[in-house]
Amino acid sequence: MTILETKEVSKTYAAHKALDKVSVCVEQGDVFGLLGPNGAGKTTLIRMINQITAPDEGEIFFCGNRLRAQDVHHIGYLPEERGLYKKMKVGEQAVYLAQLKGMDTKTAKEKLKEWFTRFDIMNWWDKKVEELSKGMAQKVQFITTVLHEPKLLIFDEPFSGFDPLNANLLKEEILNLRDKGASIIFSTHNMSSVEEICDKIALINKSKKILDGSVKEIKQRFKKNLYELVLPKEAAIEDMLVEGCYLQDKLRAGDTLVVKLSIDKGRNAELLSNILKTTDIISYRELLPSMNEIFIQTVQENE
Amino acid sequence: MTILGPILLCALWATPFLISKTAQKTDNIIVVDTNAIVADSDIIVVDNAADKKKGEKVYLFKGNFKNKENIKFEYMDDISQAQALLKEGSCDGVLEIVKTGDNPPIKGFMYYEESEPGLSTQEEIKKQMSDIFKTKILEYDYNMDKKEIEWINNAEIDFYTKNILTGKESYQEIKMVLGGVSGFLIYFFVFLFGAQVMKSVSEEKVNRIVEVLVSSVKPVQLLMGKLIGIALVGLTQFCLWVVLTFAILGFVRAAAPQMFQPVQQEEITVNERIISVDKINAAEAGDTTNELIQGLLSINYLTMIGMFLFYFIAGYFLYASLFGAVGSLIDADTDGQQFTLPITVPLIIAIVCLPAVLDNPTGNVAFWLSIIPFTSPVVMMVRIPFGVTFWELALSASVMLLFIAAAVWLAAKIYRTGILMYGKEINYREIWKWLKYKN
Repeated sequence: MTILETKEVSKTYAAHKALDKVSVCVEQGDVFGLLGPNGAGKTTLIRMINQITAPDEGEIFFCGNRLRAQDVHHIGYLPEERGLYKKMKVGEQAVYLAQLKGMDTKTAKEKLKEWFTRFDIMNWWDKKVEELSKGMAQKVQFITTVLHEPKLLIFDEPFSGFDPLNANLLKEEILNLRDKGASIIFSTHNMSSVEEICDKIALINKSKKILDGSVKEIKQRFKKNLYELVLPKEAAIEDMLVEGCYLQDKLRAGDTLVVKLSIDKGRNAELLSNILKTTDIISYRELLPSMNEIFIQTVQENE
Repeated sequence: MTILGPILLCALWATPFLISKTAQKTDNIIVVDTNAIVADSDIIVVDNAADKKKGEKVYLFKGNFKNKENIKFEYMDDISQAQALLKEGSCDGVLEIVKTGDNPPIKGFMYYEESEPGLSTQEEIKKQMSDIFKTKILEYDYNMDKKEIEWINNAEIDFYTKNILTGKESYQEIKMVLGGVSGFLIYFFVFLFGAQVMKSVSEEKVNRIVEVLVSSVKPVQLLMGKLIGIALVGLTQFCLWVVLTFAILGFVRAAAPQMFQPVQQEEITVNERIISVDKINAAEAGDTTNELIQGLLSINYLTMIGMFLFYFIAGYFLYASLFGAVGSLIDADTDGQQFTLPITVPLIIAIVCLPAVLDNPTGNVAFWLSIIPFTSPVVMMVRIPFGVTFWELALSASVMLLFIAAAVWLAAKIYRTGILMYGKEINYREIWKWLKYKN
């Protein structure tokens, strides 16, 4: 089931075009990465989904229907710029934010107590936010974002400002929510996190979508038939090459030789059997481009 | 900002000056001095040196007022005829001078319709009356007895203003106090709660909680909620103040009643006056308290309270929505100074012009400042005790409502963009662009 779909949405601020006909589609249970350099238009798109701004052109569909005002109750949003009322008590504030999302006080309190117990922060309930550290406040913010069990969760640079320990905790919780049926949109320019948890991505640059698809499929699309061979150090790789194989790089590491080859289609078997005639192969694998490389390559090509 | 600042400060200085320049309105006053004094009567004991005047009819005031730049005097004998002219609107006031048994034996009654002549006009008439009275007495009576000397020393003639339609006396001083206090209260509350809205908006922006909030409610809803919420806080606080003030006053009054005794009575005993004068003064002292009560009763409180609430709320909404817009521009790095100044200056102009308005509640300064919505909450409240025509109130209120609608619209536009704008230098040109953004 498609949970969210934007159809050719555009937004213009005075002379600046923030988004230009961007279409994305998020299926239920997906972890969807919204990637792009700073100022590409990610936040504008996210704000549209949250109905903070409206598109000038194009339409947004939520669970099959055009986005309506009450849909905010089914969306949880953790913005990049986030904060809490400093003078207010943690518990009170969390209840208030839950009420804004349409929860009644009683349910909100019950759920909050569950989450607080789980994160082991029940003793913060009556503390003022200003007494909390930044990481502690982030935990509270995370809870208030997911408390109303939204169908769609949007995290804008969620790991910024978290220490590795808490970032990991957060990641686990997010995947946990996905397993329970929530769909997740990640907006980030931190590529390593994308590879780890995203199923699909869309890459936005200069207000246009320039790439989208599943992470696996994109990697396949961008692969350059590069292979890594690890051989014993005395192997003379130059003499073993067959037609259609090109040596890219050679590096001696300990008592092994790491070789990078580009191999034309259908030549692998021939090459491998040729090598095996004279020496052992310690390992052999295809080199897929990292998301980071794809990101940089696509953005640069786009310029 | 470098240019705007001096311009605004000049405006602050020049506005009252410029308006009062154009404010030279002439009041036409008809004087009715029917109580001619026969030069032999009980009041003026004409002594022998002036006996050629004996039996002659002497009008103390008729023909003796001096026309001034802003007052013209005419004289008539028939009070009802003069009042008819007043009702027609062909003069601004009728001054009836009557003889009484008090000290001094003359009292002036000024009739007006709808709104009374300005304080400066009234002061001028009162001064001229006293001067004429003194001069005449000295002219006709050189051989005065103690009582007469007392009169002359006391020659500040009692002067009352009366609305010809309601027949009520006007009690100028009480109105001044009431008008001034309510005008100032409005100024104070608009500033206090307007600033509170600004603070609250900028706090949410600086906290960065605002983006979470606007993902749950619309920015306009958030701003309106804030405006209405703080308005209710303001009204509650105001009501509490009123109730508590009266409670404390009541308590003090009960605990220390001597504090509230009129001071004049003590003076009389200290001065060791002769019994007759003592009595007169004692009676007068009683009058003062009585007059105060009468004066307080003479105000139309229903209009007063109704309009106070209206201007309190309206003035608050006008200014608070603008303060809210300014609040959305304030970030950790940008301060709101350059944006608050244009909002606070009009409010300060209203306060600076208060004396001019009190001096002449029907003059041009008062009129225009009570129509312009940025000053009208303060200035109109000052004017209301003196009587304001219905059409002026209606005009002022409608202009006000129009401007509130415009201010809220403007504020919503600025607020919507401003709260989500971080780390960017915001100037007026930038804001102008925002107004053209769609949602």
